[in-house]
Amino acid sequence: MKLNHLFDLSGKVAVVTGGGNGIGKAVCMMLSRAGASVAVGDLKYEDAQHVADEIKAEGGKAIAVACNVTVDEELVNMVDETVKAFGKVNVLVNNAGGGGGGRENPSKISVDDFAWRFKLNVYSAWRLSQLCAPHMEKDGYGSIINITSMSSINRSPNMSAYAASKAAMNHMTANLAMDYGGGKIRVNAVGPGATKTAALASVLTPEIEAKMLAHTPIKRLGEVDDIAGAVLYFAAPISEWVSGETLFVNGGGVQTLD
Amino acid sequence: MKSIEQLFSFKGKVIIITGAAGAIGGAAGHLFASLGANVVISDLNGEGAKKVAAEITAESGVEALGIQTNATVEAELDTLVQTTLEKFGKISGLINNVGWGAATPIWESDTDKMVKSYLLNTVGAYNLTKRCMPYLEKEPNASVVFSGSLVGVTPSPEFIEYSTAKAGLMNLVRSMAVVSGPKVRFNTVLIGSVDNGDSTLAAGYDPEMLRRLSEAFVMKRRGFPMEIAYGMMFLMSNAAEWITGIDLRIDGGGTYKSKMPKKD
Ligand SMILES: NC(=O)c1ccc[n+]([C@@H]2O[C@H](COP(=O)([O-])OP(=O)(O)OC[C@H]3O[C@@H](n4cnc5c(N)ncnc54)[C@H](O)[C@@H]3O)[C@@H](O)[C@H]2O)c1
Ligand SMILES: NC(=O)c1ccc[n+]([C@@H]2O[C@H](COP(=O)([O-])OP(=O)(O)OC[C@H]3O[C@@H](n4cnc5c(N)ncnc54)[C@H](O)[C@@H]3O)[C@@H](O)[C@H]2O)c1
Repeated sequence: MKLNHLFDLSGKVAVVTGGGNGIGKAVCMMLSRAGASVAVGDLKYEDAQHVADEIKAEGGKAIAVACNVTVDEELVNMVDETVKAFGKVNVLVNNAGGGGGGRENPSKISVDDFAWRFKLNVYSAWRLSQLCAPHMEKDGYGSIINITSMSSINRSPNMSAYAASKAAMNHMTANLAMDYGGGKIRVNAVGPGATKTAALASVLTPEIEAKMLAHTPIKRLGEVDDIAGAVLYFAAPISEWVSGETLFVNGGGVQTLD
Repeated sequence: MKSIEQLFSFKGKVIIITGAAGAIGGAAGHLFASLGANVVISDLNGEGAKKVAAEITAESGVEALGIQTNATVEAELDTLVQTTLEKFGKISGLINNVGWGAATPIWESDTDKMVKSYLLNTVGAYNLTKRCMPYLEKEPNASVVFSGSLVGVTPSPEFIEYSTAKAGLMNLVRSMAVVSGPKVRFNTVLIGSVDNGDSTLAAGYDPEMLRRLSEAFVMKRRGFPMEIAYGMMFLMSNAAEWITGIDLRIDGGGTYKSKMPKKD
């Protein structure tokens, strides 16, 4: 058994949403190093381009696609562009997402803001799965990986909309795994704990970090590579008998604030 | 970012695997050795263990040790740890893989059967982990992986001795995880039904039952031992440095029975 064989994704094509920064960027780099051609989608086209350029500079294959995952035409376009460039889709990483950060006071959050979180986190992942599945089916190899969150099973203050949307992703993962069944298309999720990205930096202070680590057996916050490694396990053929699973990568704890 | 080689290389690691003359433990031995680890193949079946170790050494070129150990006898666990240290000088990982359970009608078990199953499936893993801890704590990214079973999380009246012991094992793992970070990580692979040859037949299945069991999985087949070993390897690797206290289900998407069963 050779390592590059175990994780070999050469000849496979991956689509990653929110691939321009943070976890999504680490996932793009990791899948490329395993041999996949990567379509880097992001709301911020320039950021996607930077990542695609970095991949190409390492000798990998990538394209950048402008894609706001809350706009249906842009989802359709991203899959079309990917198929035009690389001929197929094998791996889909639904990573673009948002909300949370303790900013969802139930008496203040509006109906639109609540609905927006479901549109961004749940609907986009479902729709992209629907768009990519026929290509996966045709090629005989498909792995869909949803980036959910530790908050999907925590109880945290002022997180009801984000947490509920991420819990919905976990359960959608299990249900789609059954629907796609049979082995050609697998659906799994990775649930990060608090991971050092720009999204986290917007709410992190040294006091908050200390509080988070108080409940974390592995005494550090997550790095984007911790999450990308778990995505690689689910993308690669070594997890061929795994579907419907949500794997929490969270240092063994909960990074809730009280 | 670390390269894939750095994330998944086990060169210089020493890993003890129990029940390793069997299907899943044996596959894990082959896999870890092929990635560079010195593996200790321990099993009640001493001849089987030595044979597997010899095959691994021949195949991988990395030295493997085969040793007879009854996981339920504490003095033998002492010997296992001592022999490993004498031979390889350290312990970087442990796979508590021993386990077994036979079908028993739910009201026909008794104290003796319940306790024996607990000793084999749960207490043995506790005793060996306890002995390895001082050595694991010295090694970077040390971790322990346990062979759990889906019967330990779903109602399993057919296997009451085994299922309750495996349920206890999962709780043991979570407890170890919360107090032992950041030095040592503890995770469970939650195993669906895996083809291990005669062992399943000995637990009370016949080939027709196994065919139906395969059909019940979303993936329409039982797992291969190596697919479980891959999950163990991921959980022990440098890619999983921030993962502890979790149960990774490797179960073919789970089982599903239609509420509108077809006649067959
Ligand atoms: N960082 C954490 O602590 C953490 C914890 C749990 C879950 N997550 C989840 O991980 C995922 C990635 O988060 P991150 O921390 O890497 O964030 P990030 O802010 O670092 O990066 C997010 C990327 O997604 C892009 N993006 C934002 N909205 C988009 C949209 N509508 N369409 C397309 N792209 C869009 C951004 O431009 C950016 O490049 C999210 O789903 C988030 O909920 C993060
Ligand atoms: N195969 C499956 O379907 C399945 C499903 C769920 C969980 N598991 C678990 O996976 C693990 C490995 O199972 P397997 O399928 O490889 O089984 P196996 O029967 O092929 O191997 C088990 C090995 O354990 C050894 N053993 C038994 N009692 C022992 C003792 N007291 N001390 C030391 N060694 C002993 C046996 O000699 C055998 O070599 C077990 O914990 C089992 O409960 C297996």
